[in-house]
Amino acid sequence: MSAADRARDLLGRLVRASAFERFLISASALLLSVFIGALIILGAGRMTDCSTAAYTIAVPGQFVTQFVGGGSVFAMGFCYDPFAVYDLLFLGALGDVLSNPLNSQFATTIAETTILMFTGVAVAVAFRADIFNIGVQGQLVVGALTTGVVLTFLAPPLAGLGVLATAVLLPLGLLLGGVAGGAFAAIPGALKAYADANEVITTIMLNFVATSIALFLVSREDYFKDPESFASQTVPLPDVALFPSFLFRPRDDVSVLALAFALVVLVGTWYLLQHTPFGYDLRTSGLQPDAAEYGGVDADRTIVSSMTLSGALAGVGGAVYVLMVLGNFQTGVPDYGFDGITVSILAGNNPLGVGFAAFLFGVLKSGSIVVQVGSDVPPTLVGVLRGLIILFVAMPEFFRMMGKKFGSFDRPGEPVTADGATGGGSDE
Amino acid sequence: MTQTDTAVRLEAITKRFPGVVANDEVDLPVERGSVHALLGENGAGKTTLMNVLYGLYQPNSGRIVVDGEERQFDSPRDAIDAGVGMIHQHFMLVDTMTVAENIALGNEPRKWGGLAVDREAARREVVELSERYGFDVDPDKTVAEVSVGVQQRVEILKALYRGADVLILDEPTAVLTPQEVEDLFDVLDELTDQGKTVIFITHKLGEAMQAADDITVLRDGENVGTVDADETTREELAELMVGREVVLEVESTPPSVGDTVLDVEDLSVRDDRDVPAVTDVSFAVREGEVFGVAGVDGNGQAELVEAITGLREPEAGTVEFDGEDVTDASRRERIDGGMAYIPEDRQERGLVMDFDLVENGILGSQHNAPFAAGPTIDWTAAREHAEGVVADYDVRPPNADTEAVSLSGGNQQKFIVGREFERDPRLVVATHPTRGVDIGSQEFIHDRLLELRDEGRGVFLVSSKLDEVQGLSDRLAVMHDGDVMAVVDPDEITEEELGLLMAGEYPERYEPRSERDAEGVAQ
Repeated sequence: MSAADRARDLLGRLVRASAFERFLISASALLLSVFIGALIILGAGRMTDCSTAAYTIAVPGQFVTQFVGGGSVFAMGFCYDPFAVYDLLFLGALGDVLSNPLNSQFATTIAETTILMFTGVAVAVAFRADIFNIGVQGQLVVGALTTGVVLTFLAPPLAGLGVLATAVLLPLGLLLGGVAGGAFAAIPGALKAYADANEVITTIMLNFVATSIALFLVSREDYFKDPESFASQTVPLPDVALFPSFLFRPRDDVSVLALAFALVVLVGTWYLLQHTPFGYDLRTSGLQPDAAEYGGVDADRTIVSSMTLSGALAGVGGAVYVLMVLGNFQTGVPDYGFDGITVSILAGNNPLGVGFAAFLFGVLKSGSIVVQVGSDVPPTLVGVLRGLIILFVAMPEFFRMMGKKFGSFDRPGEPVTADGATGGGSDE
Repeated sequence: MTQTDTAVRLEAITKRFPGVVANDEVDLPVERGSVHALLGENGAGKTTLMNVLYGLYQPNSGRIVVDGEERQFDSPRDAIDAGVGMIHQHFMLVDTMTVAENIALGNEPRKWGGLAVDREAARREVVELSERYGFDVDPDKTVAEVSVGVQQRVEILKALYRGADVLILDEPTAVLTPQEVEDLFDVLDELTDQGKTVIFITHKLGEAMQAADDITVLRDGENVGTVDADETTREELAELMVGREVVLEVESTPPSVGDTVLDVEDLSVRDDRDVPAVTDVSFAVREGEVFGVAGVDGNGQAELVEAITGLREPEAGTVEFDGEDVTDASRRERIDGGMAYIPEDRQERGLVMDFDLVENGILGSQHNAPFAAGPTIDWTAAREHAEGVVADYDVRPPNADTEAVSLSGGNQQKFIVGREFERDPRLVVATHPTRGVDIGSQEFIHDRLLELRDEGRGVFLVSSKLDEVQGLSDRLAVMHDGDVMAVVDPDEITEEELGLLMAGEYPERYEPRSERDAEGVAQ
């Protein structure tokens, strides 16, 4: 068997892996990435100068005597301690979660997780319809912008109403974000369906359009810029329009309500895909367009509607970002949309899996900050460690997706064939 | 038969693929100068066995003896060197090169010390060779210019040119008209008269009996018997193939027809390459009748069916379904109107390979009762439906949770047929409904098709199996080159006449163009 055959075989096995096998693969990939990351930390630690070693590998004297014949203790020092780094990276994100589950470090993790759930599920929905929506970032920005701007006008008159205002403004803000994000995503959807324009290209371009429009609108006082601020941002919204911070401290910018809402959205999206005719149409056209067409699915309409749904989810994510974290719209939105792609791949494009993947991402993101603060490890190295974990965990799923899309890994040695009349292949 | 008469002897060949034993200790002695048919259903292991003999596969165990000498073939090259040639279903010819160039390709005589190809010598050798075997081929025509039957002969000549004494033909008749099949059998006779040995793979009983001297039947990868073609019967062979007694004739009672359910008027359709595939075709299918279409594959049947079912936009003409003009109606509107459709391509169209049978069972009905209950899908109803189809149509393994991809082709087909038949249709459009299906299930599908007809539904049947369309149809349209040559009474027309029509020629009884309307000669 040649190397190529072996590679095909392996890919085939990956495609056919069961849920449990996939979990094992992900878990061992995570361990392996930590192990390799530890080696990198040690290597980097040897190449750096420091007065006291943060970590020392020591071998007791008699052990060395036995093999080498020397008498002294054998020891090697390293500037960075891999155990400490990973301890900070994973557990730092959780803070002192056991004694104080509401600590601010954990709050950051939850906030990140919440936003990533929306962008992750947005990408996943499009992926399930076999559409590569790279425009989630743009859709998120448009959703956030719309929510931030419109509520600037609607919120102040209602500010006096207290809880009632929140009950009106919060759903309204989320709705605005969803509608705007959905409408913005419908553009590349329609272009793909009716003009055959590749969605990867159009969504990337529209990302720039979204960012530029946002910058234009919030950097001039004639439009929506907050006149009292030097930054490019809208007027801060009154607290009644924002997510209430029930448990966490208000200044932690996180809301359990938003997290719960995100979880509901994940489950709702899963239910939509698995249990409705629309979801059936979407999955069918994603898996096998010809069969979908045969089954009466309108391919063009499905493309537009799945893109719209994807964009709407991203837009709601943007609204949550404004209403939970920022309190107004500011330019320079972090790359939640792009991280959403990785989150979705990590989750195997399953909306329920997105929750876990987003949490891992959230942990890594807020953990990185802790590592930078709590150790001498340079931020670039932390980035490497984070990237390593994501790469390792996402790659098996990524190969699986590619293998499914491009390979034919039906039962080996038993190709299912038509008979002689068209001769699809040989019969076994 | 003595040992020295044996050209090829396969002994206890076993070939395993992951999870499957394709050949299980198969013995196959082939007498020199004979035509030996390898008969079996799809998946019986015929092609695998021949691929082993041709060096494409290496057996897990067993011996290959050619000319009394044990051989090991690591590649087809070795097999060719030992005098074994194989003609595949798909011809491996270069369309733009001439017949002679194709035959000599890769083995051209050289001149100038091996620096250049001696085309003249090559052409001379090819002419000599084709004259010796009485082949009627023009060496100077390009392959694109000659008919499929001639292309096949070119393939045979190519094998002979390379010194083959044993010729393996894989389903050689699949692409031929009945006349071309006759010609092929004459060619085979000529070859064996001159001492060549022919092994041909087929799943058609009649052909095996007509052309072969000996017939070996494979079932589930095992040799279940080698019989003398002159001393066997169709019934005996069918029983060997299936493993039980089979009723071969389709019992069809006269139809009681009702209103027109499908009316096609002056329909013209283009194919994927934008070439006219169907030109100006008109016919009507009525309730309670089976309207069949016969023709060699690729004469516009596929495009015609797609235009009727809503998968392809016609260029001109109208399609009326159940009294309504559906020419521009979407696929879903047609499904909802009661048009069931067994597609030609079951793996691309008919099933979603990654879905299990529960999910596949509602393909096409995902928006309709009883599966779409309100805004959600009732998966319990879907499961019951799928389990019903699996049980009634003998889909194996009998488990609705199986993914479509892991079913064999025949079982995939059975599931699609079941799903479409049980849709309570007004019209069934069935293309090759029994393709790849074992003989036992064919019987069931045929019976069920006639039952639907007797319930007053219209059936539009396209099949490349002549006995199938002829046996089931009440009226039969013969298509050639995108045109309906004639609509005939399948019980009256002879196979020769049918063959001529399929080849685009009119036998005396069938006047061109006068009988093309909906109320054809069957009236």
